[in-house]
Amino acid sequence: MTAATLNTEGQSPKKIQLNTRYMFLIGLIVVASVGFSIANPNFFSIANIGILLRSISVLFLLSMGMTFIMLTGGIDLSVGSNVAFAGGVGVVVLTSTGIPVLGFAAALIAAMAIGFINGFFIGKLKLSAFMVTLATMALARGLALVIYDADSINVTNTTFLWLGGTSIGNFPIVIPFVALVFAALCVVLYKTAYGRDVYAVGSNINTAFLMGRQADRTVVSVYVLTGLLVGIAAIITVGRVSSGQPWAGLYLEFDAITAVILGGTSLFGGRGKLFGTILGVLLYGIIINGLILTGTNPYLQSLIKGLILLGVVLIDTISQRRSAQ
Amino acid sequence: MSVKTLAMKTVAATALLATGAMADAHDPLEIVFINDGHVAPYHVAWLTGLEDAIAAYDEAFGGVSGHWLSAEGSLERMIQQVETTINEGPDVMFVNAINTEAFEPLIAQAQEAGIVWVAVHSPMESADYSFTLGDVTNGTNQGLAMCALLPAGSTVGIMLGQAGNPSGEARHEGILNGLSTCEGDIEVVAEQPADWDTVRAQSIAENWLTQFPDLTAISGVTDAYLYPSIAIAQSAGRDIAFFGYDGDVPIMSQMNGGPVMADILLSGTREGWNFVQMAYRIHRGDELEHLYDFFTPLVMTEENHQRALANGFPADVQVYYTDAALEVAEFGYLEFGPDSVQ
Repeated sequence: MTAATLNTEGQSPKKIQLNTRYMFLIGLIVVASVGFSIANPNFFSIANIGILLRSISVLFLLSMGMTFIMLTGGIDLSVGSNVAFAGGVGVVVLTSTGIPVLGFAAALIAAMAIGFINGFFIGKLKLSAFMVTLATMALARGLALVIYDADSINVTNTTFLWLGGTSIGNFPIVIPFVALVFAALCVVLYKTAYGRDVYAVGSNINTAFLMGRQADRTVVSVYVLTGLLVGIAAIITVGRVSSGQPWAGLYLEFDAITAVILGGTSLFGGRGKLFGTILGVLLYGIIINGLILTGTNPYLQSLIKGLILLGVVLIDTISQRRSAQ
Repeated sequence: MSVKTLAMKTVAATALLATGAMADAHDPLEIVFINDGHVAPYHVAWLTGLEDAIAAYDEAFGGVSGHWLSAEGSLERMIQQVETTINEGPDVMFVNAINTEAFEPLIAQAQEAGIVWVAVHSPMESADYSFTLGDVTNGTNQGLAMCALLPAGSTVGIMLGQAGNPSGEARHEGILNGLSTCEGDIEVVAEQPADWDTVRAQSIAENWLTQFPDLTAISGVTDAYLYPSIAIAQSAGRDIAFFGYDGDVPIMSQMNGGPVMADILLSGTREGWNFVQMAYRIHRGDELEHLYDFFTPLVMTEENHQRALANGFPADVQVYYTDAALEVAEFGYLEFGPDSVQ
């Protein structure tokens, strides 16, 4: 990096832009929280905070995986359907063997298998991420419906339900677990050569290749990693509802993409951070929770969500153009 | 002011006068309805009926409030809405669960918080009440109507609900039960899930009209499928008979001299009003059945009913004629307004 690309404090324009984005998101989170708490004092109750955090835990895991993928310039539309598929495989293995560890392993392997299919077609065969994951979205949902025979399966195994269904008071134990996953992913993304490869592939895949990075492997691996996170999300989902559900995860891909974009990760790859994704998920969760608490008419809810997303994207574009000047 | 609004206000005012000083004696009643969607024509009528009924009961008795939420088809969103609503502590919750098993753990939580849980459409044993439609019986009546009104040798396509949805599957089971009474006379040539989606129904209808040039009738587990199907058949110049389910006013309006032969009178508006009446009755301590059956007669024109009876249609199936059905479908307060709980 040359001196011309650094400002007086040694920060690159990209970093300044991201920091501005984060400050803006934090500001929005504060404003939304204060606004909703005025409209309904229950917003800041411990019980509601627990509900809010538990409700975004699955979205949070999917969004972290989606961040890795979008950093490489890709997208994954199959994550929601994959939650249903992986949950189905896990539940079927659990109910037929009675061994929770096998159920966990089956759910994780099933989700990673869909991730591998995505990664192989996108990374190795260079097919469009949108088209491939659109296909696997239908494939995974179809498989889930076949596995479940379109009906839910009740789960009573307490070990299998523990992660998604246990709370200490109003505090769901899934929250510290998700925080641990976040910490581990931060280490992977920021402290390892693999993390640098992810950014390099997203910034310019051809340059990354010329620099000796194995871009195709990196692409495959981010989809498999996302599959792993989807598998964990599937286990949490089953725990939360004490059953396997063929329609679980419906539209979650759109929520995850929205949260990641809100968090400042570029749709074109190479730019973004997991911290931004946390803020994006949190903001999204607060808005959804606040709109429920205030009894806002659902017709209006869609309008509000759309306007917020449009506003954030607009501000992002303006700030990018300014920093480019 | 529309006739409907004027009539509603009159009913509410009459009830207010009748109850007089009693109004203040009622505890506040807060109702929340969590539904799986909010854009289908039936949903729109349902939610509007609920809002109108809450306003009318509040005007009549005071202290009645409520709102509705839509999960937009997402299980996760519905769970979040239910959890948040339980934490808010309304008096009565109506939940049209996307899947009943997923909500079993939350029912206990709601009951601990002193909230009455009414399971909507799909019965739930642990719920305080289940508001049911008698889907199998209604479906059977639709099937029987097809047997009685279609000529021998007819071919039928059935548009189904979302795979695994209990209500859709019960309706399907009923339709097949009804059709089994005239086995051999009517052939089901196609069955396809349209996922409660009008747009998907449109594409299915287009395919069927091409694939089956002699198709006689289309049966749907919801009237939402009939809107595009009727339009497509008409623009193609095809003479197709339609058998619906829901009692949507625009569909039942096409019975007199139109292509719609029979429908099941649910009516979203009626159902919305019935919810508020039911919540009010629960709140004031009335004893209601755990399985609360919504009254859902078959609808036909008088002429078709006579023809059906002559063709062996069972005389004990309760039938509303079109005009009467349209009236109660449009004005939910006629059956379930504040004066119905005096």
